[in-house]
Amino acid sequence: MRWCLTLFICCFLAAVNALSSSGSRLLAVLEDTEQKDLYSTLWADLEARGYDVSFESPKSDQLALFKHGERAYDHLLILPPKSKGLGPSLTPKHILDFMNKDGNILLALSGKSATSSSISSLLLELDIHLSTDRSHVVVDHFNYDTLSAAEKHDVLVVQRPGPLRPDVKAFFDGEGVLALPRVAPHTLGYDSVLLSPILKSPATAYSYNPKEGTPAPEDILATGSQLNLVSAMQARNSARFTVLGSVEALEDQWFSAEVKTPNGKKTPTVNREFAKQLTAWAFKETGVLKVDKVEHRLATEGAELNPSIYRIKNETVYNIEISEYVYDKWVPFEVPGDDELQLEFTMLSPFHRLNLQPIHRTDTSTVFSAQFVTPDQHGIFSFRVNYKRPFFTAIEENHEVTVRHFAHDEYPRSWAITGGWVWIAGLWSVIGGFLAFVVVWLYSAPVVDKLKKSQ
Amino acid sequence: MAPSSLNVMLKGSSGRSTRGLLRVIILCTIAAAAVSSRLFSVIRFESIIHEFDPWFNFRATKYLIENGFYSFWDWFDDRTWHPLGRVTGGTLYPGLMVTSGVIYHILRLLTIPVDIRNICVLLAPGFSGLTALAMYLLTSEMSTSPSAGLLAAAFMGITPGYISRSVAGSYDNEAIAIFLLVFTFYLWIKAVKNGSIMWGALTALFYGYMVSAWGGYVFITNLIPLHVFVLLCMGRYSNRVYISYTTWYALGTLGSMQIPFVGFLPIRNSDHMSALGVFGLIQLVAFAEFIRTYLPGKEFQKLLTSMILLTVGLGFGGLVLLSVSGVIAPWSGRFYSLWDTGYAKIHIPIIASVSEHQPTAWPAFFFDLNFLIWLFPAGVFMCFQKLKDEHVFVVIYAVLASYFAGVMVRLMLTLTPIVCVAAALALSSILDSFLVASTPSSSSEAKEKPTAEDKSLRSTRKPVVGIYSFFSKSVVVGSVIVYLLLFVAHCTWVTSNAYSSPSVVLASKLPDGSQYIIDDYREAYYWLRQNTPDNAKIMAWWDYGYQIGGMADRPTLVDNNTWNNTHIATVGKAMSSREEVSYPILRQHDVDYVLVVFGGLLGYSGDDLNKFLWMVRIAEGIWPDEVKERDFFTARGEYRVDEEATPAMKNSLMYKMSYHNFQSLFPPGQAMDRVRGTKVPKESPQLNTLEEAFTSENWIVRLYKVKDLDNLGRDHSSAVAFDKGLKRKRATKHKGPRVLRTE
Repeated sequence: MRWCLTLFICCFLAAVNALSSSGSRLLAVLEDTEQKDLYSTLWADLEARGYDVSFESPKSDQLALFKHGERAYDHLLILPPKSKGLGPSLTPKHILDFMNKDGNILLALSGKSATSSSISSLLLELDIHLSTDRSHVVVDHFNYDTLSAAEKHDVLVVQRPGPLRPDVKAFFDGEGVLALPRVAPHTLGYDSVLLSPILKSPATAYSYNPKEGTPAPEDILATGSQLNLVSAMQARNSARFTVLGSVEALEDQWFSAEVKTPNGKKTPTVNREFAKQLTAWAFKETGVLKVDKVEHRLATEGAELNPSIYRIKNETVYNIEISEYVYDKWVPFEVPGDDELQLEFTMLSPFHRLNLQPIHRTDTSTVFSAQFVTPDQHGIFSFRVNYKRPFFTAIEENHEVTVRHFAHDEYPRSWAITGGWVWIAGLWSVIGGFLAFVVVWLYSAPVVDKLKKSQ
Repeated sequence: MAPSSLNVMLKGSSGRSTRGLLRVIILCTIAAAAVSSRLFSVIRFESIIHEFDPWFNFRATKYLIENGFYSFWDWFDDRTWHPLGRVTGGTLYPGLMVTSGVIYHILRLLTIPVDIRNICVLLAPGFSGLTALAMYLLTSEMSTSPSAGLLAAAFMGITPGYISRSVAGSYDNEAIAIFLLVFTFYLWIKAVKNGSIMWGALTALFYGYMVSAWGGYVFITNLIPLHVFVLLCMGRYSNRVYISYTTWYALGTLGSMQIPFVGFLPIRNSDHMSALGVFGLIQLVAFAEFIRTYLPGKEFQKLLTSMILLTVGLGFGGLVLLSVSGVIAPWSGRFYSLWDTGYAKIHIPIIASVSEHQPTAWPAFFFDLNFLIWLFPAGVFMCFQKLKDEHVFVVIYAVLASYFAGVMVRLMLTLTPIVCVAAALALSSILDSFLVASTPSSSSEAKEKPTAEDKSLRSTRKPVVGIYSFFSKSVVVGSVIVYLLLFVAHCTWVTSNAYSSPSVVLASKLPDGSQYIIDDYREAYYWLRQNTPDNAKIMAWWDYGYQIGGMADRPTLVDNNTWNNTHIATVGKAMSSREEVSYPILRQHDVDYVLVVFGGLLGYSGDDLNKFLWMVRIAEGIWPDEVKERDFFTARGEYRVDEEATPAMKNSLMYKMSYHNFQSLFPPGQAMDRVRGTKVPKESPQLNTLEEAFTSENWIVRLYKVKDLDNLGRDHSSAVAFDKGLKRKRATKHKGPRVLRTE
């Protein structure tokens, strides 16, 4: 009954309001109202999806990310300030604290002016690197918009990105082209697993500082796919940080513009659609996974649920129920393409690593399951599901159980072991022989007496 | 009136019962003295468990009482040796816990509700009273003198060598094991004397109890066969010896195999092979004796030599074959260290690191045994004079135990009983000679001789010479009384000052003479108990494992049951390596808190930095390439913790945890470590992967919480640097080719 009610309320809410899975308080940090008007379609779209958008200037005294030690907003959208920095209430430390408390951030950069050094050092903490002078712009002499940047070649026209890898779900794909004017590019640390590029620049693109004229080869930050236009970072607590290289792409004028590549047709941009996908992902409307229930038990019927102790060589079943949030509702999670959801049964190192198979599907979730025999090793083991993929929030489920040895009365009895029959036979023959000997000894005594008498 | 009534009471049949009554009263008094002299610590401090090991025994006893015997038998302990766990039910000697559990249930049955803690605290003193009784019985078997047994009982009751392991609160296996040891020997002597199956079976029964109580049972396992072997070599084979030994060996071995921890060791372990060998030998000897009655001498000689050759050849070959093929386990390390005192230091640092396993210092013998130690050889000599079967036993025991006591401090405990026996024999014969023996002047022979030579000097006419003179009697008896009084005074003093201070609570004196209790351990353990989740894993050096398990009730990585050397070495490596090396180890073992003991503020010398070299050595034994003892010594070979400490020392986790923020207690540049007596560096060591969680009042116990991985994927040092407000430097340009990111 309660379940039905909850579902009903959920449906009702979904019908009225699409809502992020982690709250609706969105703070847009921008300089003034004049700037705000440039993005009116974006604000309207966000509000239509259920966000309470508040606007603050970075210089404002009112601006505070925390109130009484708690987050005052759920999401933060930072547009590049014209002035040098973001002010005293948006220092890198504040922003990182905001992330550490599960706040999501969408940071837009612009190639029009130099990026402030405080943003640069913030990005450096996240292993996202800007060029040394922080004023590079991406140019591409093959994929540029001939209508608006015939000379400078700095309005990129690119396809929407497909899946990053075959085993990663695509959240930003679709038909149509994007127009990205004056992108401030960045590169990603080569070994950071928390970072993932959303949109890489085309193979022919490179970046340079337009104010310094023709670049020397060694000044180039990066080229081709190493140069990122839009990137995402998910912290270990799944707080999201998105960097968008070109803030202008969100402006009203680019939402409805038409572009033409050097050897292509005139086509309308899909910037508005992409902005929706990007903000939806950044503010946790998509790609959010939730573990509803974890169950483990013995494979026998009517076994106790989630016991804290198992025995070695027990047949064990593990079930995990996972939902995925898509815009406004929880849906059953499906493991993308080539990927597998895996269960580890581990003590210091995994003793089992098994693929979990979907066995059951409810309206909002999928139940994955695996069955295995606990190893012949006692100790403190964990059922561990560690599913961390680009663009999905992390699943890290760790359930500690004890695996004990055989108790003294759980071994097979001696007569049940055929190999032991020899020994059992030996044992009883010795006992029997001894008894027989005693009997013979006792009853043979009188004979000796007779012999003695005859002697 | 008075003398005549005394005569009535002391002579004749009523005299015998009077003496019996007196003896009972004296024994009860001795037992009471034995118990009460062990209560210093309870009266001075409180009724708690003291040392490290007893905390495990106490915890196991509580488990036994809460869950019953069968679940205790099958106990898998998931709160120690994380994440390996310990099959505790199968790897402990259950005798102690079962004994106190039985006492607890009997008292409950009698509707006397006693807290199990009090039973555990008072078990050792209670059993020491029984030990005194057993000692009386054993010594009475050795001597016809009635005073020998009483003296031995009194010695055993108060000698510090035994008190050291049986004061109230030291709830250790030895608490009941020494009683069992003495009583088993008494039964064995009884069995050999009587050649009775009953006494042999009783010996086996108590031997089984002993096996269930203490690993030192191996001493009995080897001593009894040795006794029999020596008797055989002396040509003293008799049916008495055969019956008692075979009964004991068959029943005792079966009994000992019932203890899961012992299991099949009696037939597979080298330590037990002598008992098996003597068992075989005595069968052969019995067979030879049997043959001898049927065969003429010459043929018997031939048969005997050929049989001996064949047996020795077969036995030796079989032993070598079984040892090589691994059926018989090789000698254990502890066994080797009994013969070569330097063995453990080189090969098994974990054994050498225990102070109990160090060779005994000479003064310790006098300290623990006082004047018994010089009466001891006299008593052994007197056994040589009589040299019946039981005296042979005393001689063998004395020789073996003296050797072992010299090798290991801890084995002083097994020497003490035989010293008491021998000393009591010697002292009682002195006292008997000087007190009881009366001048043989009344005899007629003595009277007639002097009459023949009546013309000699008057002074020599009635010679009151030697031991019959009152003077010599009074001098000897007086000095013996003085020695005895000094012995009592010494024992009381030693017990009070050396063996009654619990190591959990440290007592010190303030300048005005009042007592000041340093209670840091319990403070820290209670902090853990009340401020951490129930399954927070604590890493500490193994010395503190049992206490953390017992007092803080939190899972530990290693503890005093040192069954897994590699696991201990892992902890040693984590403590002695750089943070970057240690942190993955801590993460892999799910460590939540790290505990270190630091005595630098107070001058408490038993702290972890002083034990640190053992951690390094044990870790080096497993990872010789990663941890090197040499790195912790300066170029001049000094172990330093001040400015000139080696980089390996300064970067080790143990050093950092010990001195973290220590400098802030002192004016700048004057931080002083009172244990090592040196100044410590001005700058506090920088800890990145741990954060201080708790430090006790006198800084003895320090607890650190292991940080989680950085939320943003940075390494800890740069995260800490960022929090401190330092700006991150851009990675300097690589000289080589650019590293490209691939997805």
